[in-house]
Amino acid sequence: MSVAAATYGLAFGLLATQSGFNIFQTISMSALVFGGSSQLVAMEQLSIGLGAASAILAGSALNMRILLVTATMRNVLASRPWWQVGLGTFFATDASVALMQSAKPRNMTTSYWYFFGGGASLYVIWIAVTAIGAIVSSGVPNPQAIGLDFAIIAIFVATLPGMWRGTKDVLPWLLASGIVLIWGTLFPEYASWGLIGGAVIGAICAGLNNEH
Amino acid sequence: MNIEIWMTIIGLGGASFAIRLSGYLLASQIPQDGMWARALQALPGCLIASLVSLMMLNGTMLEWISAVMVLAIAAITRKPTLAMFAGMVIIAAMRFAIA
Repeated sequence: MSVAAATYGLAFGLLATQSGFNIFQTISMSALVFGGSSQLVAMEQLSIGLGAASAILAGSALNMRILLVTATMRNVLASRPWWQVGLGTFFATDASVALMQSAKPRNMTTSYWYFFGGGASLYVIWIAVTAIGAIVSSGVPNPQAIGLDFAIIAIFVATLPGMWRGTKDVLPWLLASGIVLIWGTLFPEYASWGLIGGAVIGAICAGLNNEH
Repeated sequence: MNIEIWMTIIGLGGASFAIRLSGYLLASQIPQDGMWARALQALPGCLIASLVSLMMLNGTMLEWISAVMVLAIAAITRKPTLAMFAGMVIIAAMRFAIA
């Protein structure tokens, strides 16, 4: 899990520098947001000139799923002091779900400090590799020659198979893509609204579809 | 651009923490199954599918070929970062071959 986060963080650091972030901004984003795909989406929206509001909206939409993660952590966090609740929820990521699942068969108690330790160590790794990526990337003289400009498209395309949950995703994904393509062709200057619109309508379609 | 970057970092940081905290605070109100849970779980995939469509809308032929190969590599290996680096090598090689 740490290795996966480390390579992803490295990629973020590389791309952030290419998108005009300085190293301090790159590290700050990793430290404050702590969500790989959300950071990448927001950065991409900024780099194509869609502005902060659009970047925050798209990044937040990707992080909405963490609502479900922290909701399932309720039993662990209940009756803890407010600062421990704050820290515990701050460190919650998709990896927290994996921690919970891996703890069950081993009969480990999913205690607060188990989550805290897992989350905090991932956080430290995340910030460190982001910084390394940013430092390495700032030394690249001609990004196009090594295909670095294509890396942001590649990382999102490469994320798709991991997000694919089977045939139930066919209709929502087609709907989301179709809306983006049609909207983007008709209104290129408002393409970012197509992005949010497509994603939300696709998700609602998935919600309405009761088959599993 | 610099101010926009900082606004995004602080805004998205605040929004992400608010999302995390409200998941805990609203836990009893957030259904773990049913329509809204299904929609929330499907949202990230739909957003990435939308984003890829938007990026490929103005993509060149070389980008399309590379993207299809990245998708295949990621689907087979299940290692997104490996697929990303492979994509960079593929497009760089094709550009070098054409130039």
